[in-house]
Amino acid sequence: MNLTDLCKRSLFWVLFILGLSGPLHAEETEARRILSKLILAHSEEQQAVTEELYDHGDQIIKEVIEGWRIGKVSVFDQDGNPIALLKRGEDSYEEISSGNSFLRGSESKINRASRKLRKKLRNVVDFLDLSSNDPRERIDAAMKLGLTQKPDYVEVLQERINRQKDSEVKEAFEVALNISLLKNSDSSQKLQAVKDLGESASFPARDFIEALRVEASESDDDGASDLEEACAVALEKIDSEQKRVEFYGSLLRGLSTGSVLLLVSYGLAITFGLMGVINMAHGEFIAIGGYTAYVVQGIFASTYGIGSSGYEWYFVLALPASFFVTAFFGILLERGVIQFLYNRPLESLLATWGISMIIQQVIRLKFGAANVAVSSPQWLFGSYEFYRVSMSYNRLFLIAFALFVIIATWLLLNKTSWGLHIRATMQNRRMASSLGIKSSRVNMMTFAYGSGLAGLAGAFLSQIGNVGPSMGQTYIVDSFMVVVVGGVGNLLGAALSSLGIGVIDQGLQPLLGPVMGKITVLFAIILFLQLRPGGLFPARTRSLDD
Amino acid sequence: MRFKSSILAATAFATGISASMAEDTVKVGVLHSLSGTMAISETSLRDVLLYTFDEINAAGGVLGKKIEPIVVDGASDWPLFAEKAEELLVKEKTAVTFGCWTSVSRKSVLPVYEKHNGLLFYPVQYEGEEQSKNIFYTAEAVGQQAIPAVDYLLEEGMKKFYLIGTDYVYPQTTNLVLFEYLLSKGIPVENIGGGLRKDAAGKVISAGNYTPFGHSDFQQIVADIKKFSASGDACVVNTINGDANVPFFKEFAASGLTSEDCPVVSFSISEDEFRALPAKDLVGHLGCWTYFMSIDSPANKKFKDGFQAWLKKTTVAGVVKENRVTCSPMVLSYNGVYLWKAAVEKAGSFDVEKVTAALQGGISFEGPGGTVTSQKNHHVTKSVFIGETLETGQFDIIESFKDVYGEPFLKGTFKK
Amino acid sequence: MIAALKPFEAKSERITFLSMLAVLVVMLLLNTMVGEGSALHLPAYTLGNWGKYLCYAVLAMSLNMLWGYTGLLCLGQCLFFALGGYAFGMHLMLMTVDYGKVPEFMQFMGYHELPGYWYPFYNPFVAILAVMLVPGLVAFIFGFLAFRSRIKGVYFSILTQALTYAAAILFFRNETGFGGNNGFTNFKYLFGGDLRTIDATRWLFAASGILLLLVYWIIAWLLTTKFGKVQLAIRDSENRIRFSGYSTTHFKLFVFVLSAIVAGLAGALYVPQAGILNPSLMEPKIGLDIVVWVAVGGRGTKLGPIIGAVLVSALKSYTTSAYPDYWLIILGGLFVFVVLFMPDGIVGLTKKTWAKYRKKEVPA
Repeated sequence: MNLTDLCKRSLFWVLFILGLSGPLHAEETEARRILSKLILAHSEEQQAVTEELYDHGDQIIKEVIEGWRIGKVSVFDQDGNPIALLKRGEDSYEEISSGNSFLRGSESKINRASRKLRKKLRNVVDFLDLSSNDPRERIDAAMKLGLTQKPDYVEVLQERINRQKDSEVKEAFEVALNISLLKNSDSSQKLQAVKDLGESASFPARDFIEALRVEASESDDDGASDLEEACAVALEKIDSEQKRVEFYGSLLRGLSTGSVLLLVSYGLAITFGLMGVINMAHGEFIAIGGYTAYVVQGIFASTYGIGSSGYEWYFVLALPASFFVTAFFGILLERGVIQFLYNRPLESLLATWGISMIIQQVIRLKFGAANVAVSSPQWLFGSYEFYRVSMSYNRLFLIAFALFVIIATWLLLNKTSWGLHIRATMQNRRMASSLGIKSSRVNMMTFAYGSGLAGLAGAFLSQIGNVGPSMGQTYIVDSFMVVVVGGVGNLLGAALSSLGIGVIDQGLQPLLGPVMGKITVLFAIILFLQLRPGGLFPARTRSLDD
Repeated sequence: MRFKSSILAATAFATGISASMAEDTVKVGVLHSLSGTMAISETSLRDVLLYTFDEINAAGGVLGKKIEPIVVDGASDWPLFAEKAEELLVKEKTAVTFGCWTSVSRKSVLPVYEKHNGLLFYPVQYEGEEQSKNIFYTAEAVGQQAIPAVDYLLEEGMKKFYLIGTDYVYPQTTNLVLFEYLLSKGIPVENIGGGLRKDAAGKVISAGNYTPFGHSDFQQIVADIKKFSASGDACVVNTINGDANVPFFKEFAASGLTSEDCPVVSFSISEDEFRALPAKDLVGHLGCWTYFMSIDSPANKKFKDGFQAWLKKTTVAGVVKENRVTCSPMVLSYNGVYLWKAAVEKAGSFDVEKVTAALQGGISFEGPGGTVTSQKNHHVTKSVFIGETLETGQFDIIESFKDVYGEPFLKGTFKK
Repeated sequence: MIAALKPFEAKSERITFLSMLAVLVVMLLLNTMVGEGSALHLPAYTLGNWGKYLCYAVLAMSLNMLWGYTGLLCLGQCLFFALGGYAFGMHLMLMTVDYGKVPEFMQFMGYHELPGYWYPFYNPFVAILAVMLVPGLVAFIFGFLAFRSRIKGVYFSILTQALTYAAAILFFRNETGFGGNNGFTNFKYLFGGDLRTIDATRWLFAASGILLLLVYWIIAWLLTTKFGKVQLAIRDSENRIRFSGYSTTHFKLFVFVLSAIVAGLAGALYVPQAGILNPSLMEPKIGLDIVVWVAVGGRGTKLGPIIGAVLVSALKSYTTSAYPDYWLIILGGLFVFVVLFMPDGIVGLTKKTWAKYRKKEVPA
């Protein structure tokens, strides 16, 4: 393909369109022209064409480049003349050079930028983002350009710093500029940049300062020792800031791990702790919850279409659905097996172990042995940053939901008459039933509630982990530990122990690594229970044999 | 007396199955986990093997004999693998076995195959440092996956490498080889992340950050990667096994890291594993295999279409029919069967010694991933591809290396 | 009834014991004396499997000592089994290479020298001693702590499960130095004999059989002693025994350690027969499997654990080949069935039926 020909063609189209549709912005028209040229250009020429984009700030550039990355740009061959297209929707395409919709888009071939080119294009986008309306985008863009340490951007950054009104954005621009200056300036400027970066404790700058320090220690120029010293001071500041962030980060991550533990074990705290049923199929109930979320997602996907706004809300329905579906299975299990075993708790262990094998294999036969994909809705995606400590939204949601479960269960048990019946039945089955409480019904409903909580946990785990036939196995030992540590029969104990175990686990991980961390926690729990056999809150009883 | 009778009954159970061996069939063993943790990956291999046998049988079989598959379940239980291997060899007298996924399952059956002089085709990428006369490794060796991938990343201008894996031999060996390789390419030690472990003499004996099997909480590790990659030009070399990748990638994506900030190159996630991942959040990460479903070749088209058609009409229990993909371990299983067929035909016999000799002589097969050629050292020469993940869960091939030799012994070969 | 105090004075006991011996001898004879062509021939492969089942049976008996006779449900019995296996496996691994050389799995981990604590294991008798000592010691420490703080019932079960789980993760770790996930494989020699021969299979089968009979005899004998009575009494009402002036802690500790040693011995014999040892043997689900064997066979009976272990294992071997997609459902269904309809296991059911049959006979 001859490039000049192509330019001419594009120009023709541009003029043609301009004539037709006046409202197209001149800036945008030019940007579109270059983009189209870029997509159709030969790979060796693309780098050069990219440079042209810098002169044209327009939203369309971002859209096309983003689309190019994820496979939405395609090329249609019209009798030997290629036309660059951008996919806008399920079946709608737009001609990039003109912005007009293109009907035969489905016959086009997907075009993808090479990784190298994308990297360059990324810089273009960052450059554009420097003047974005979104302060977050401006910050990210400035950082990325700064990290390239290219002399070209120094001026740009310098020029734009003063335009920033938001102090946070301004600071980010300064950091970016200073990182850039570490390479592109004389020694006095470098010294100042290092000092500034130390003041703002910039993490990205750490490697660059370290490199500069090594360089300075090897050189015998004037002022090299000053620079070395400044670097050392700055590094120390950055490191101590990093330690602070890590500490709070670990704490927060511990909370989230604890919330996961809490969700997976709270159902068990009810079925095992309150009712005394050792339900080894608890893990499989978690899996049932996860698969329910998967099925609900499938229904939403076929009704609303993947990626549509209706689809995004599938998770809201998946939560109650997984609760009720699993509760239903809980009722089946209670009626079918467990009701005959209330006097033989250790044998409920055996029967439910058999049930757990059956459920696992049935899931495998029904849904396949492979894990299934449950995606996070867009509104749970991403992370929130608070004083540099970041936490993803789904983890935050998880923590909040764990709190909700604690409160709801507490209210249920303590503020409703049903809760009163449950507590009475659990304390003394025979006494309660002689007082007119339908204990068999209470047993059934309590077991269903505990199972339902396991299902809820499964729905949540689908957001952060696997949904597969043996997903529950990972959590079963941990769940039992949580309940025992908390004190069997004590729900508050279970809540505290899961949070405690989570925080300790995450706190130990940076020191010992994930494997040794986990082992240490387990041995610590075993030792703890030797000291306090009844757990955190032992059940008080006057009976000798329990 | 009741004891004896119960024992007799059990004996009858255990020895009861002795299917009569028809004259015009040849028995072939399929030894994969259909239950337990590894079923996630291995059931697909069972499916593709059954398909391959049907395809060969439809074309007249091997040496005029139809293949009669004997499928057993290793159940992710390693002693059971050894037991089943012996059952296949001794009781069923299978001519060849296709099977195993994990290194430990291969290690557990290896003595059995050596003892009874059987033949096993092993299809999954592995750590090398092994070469048994009774095993044929159609799998990717470290040099056919990790090294090309790192070469590519170096060319991309990556300066920092974070090594992460599941704690067992394959990741440990691969990462150690990569560590030596990266040093030989001039990457300074401090730019190789994940941690190092040294022996008393100060020699590095383990590189990278390791998690247990089935690990589900990657918060700390992702936070560490985020810190590591803050200054740019960093990438992650991922040898996490199987389904532990799902929580890792979910955490990775949720933390706000993207493939543009810090690409992850994975060696254990194929199209099959990708079905369980949120593909839209993982666009642009890299994979390296000797086959991708997206390869555009007639052989691949025939393979894909044939497999889908087979899925539609098969009546085998437990075969999932919807949303099926093909992936490298599946193709390596497929290639293995055809290599074996060609070797049998060349040798004119099912005898293990003769078939092995034929394979060692170098047999080529035009597979879905390009030509594969068996080598004298029981490995296979094949093409290596680097792919980038797409929204569809497929890989876009961005680099390929033709005819890469399969060399199992790489540790200690790269010097600074 | 006084005569029944010694294990085999009752005729039925003698018959049971001798018929077990007979079955084992006949199986060996069917393998060695009957030609391969004959329909009665027992293939070495089947004999090898039965050797493993016998080890499982011993393991089940060791759990029965705890659960059936003392009322302590240990979900971590697999840990002792595996520890015995590892102790013996160390000797077997050393036999795969020349003296002073590093076994293959260690080369993987970058070792160039054998760690000091491996050297004693060159001596097989030291290894056998360790097979008993290591599980015994672990059981002693854990039991001492647990029984002293009066941990019992479900708490004890869950703690033992946590213990074996923690140990499994520890052994899965490559750095721990026992081969991590790959574990020990490719054994070659034992007592100078080649393990890959049919003779080795026979010897190991015979050894497992002897161990089984020995443990059976020990348990039968213990039950006839005063110690055995106290043991049963602890199971039925621990407090009453304590108030009667017995230190139940010591009794329980003794039984726990003894059962760990027995499990360790079974593990040591199991490893060369299975050909692989890997930490998955310590996973909680294996511990549960053992409990299931005992329950299926009949808890608290001498024969029950043997029948349960052999039957369930044989069924697993058979179904994983015959019904690869359904075997979990079949076995799971069996467990549920046993719990619901045969609370005393197979032995209990046979006893009941027998008793009914006798009752009917008497008036006639």
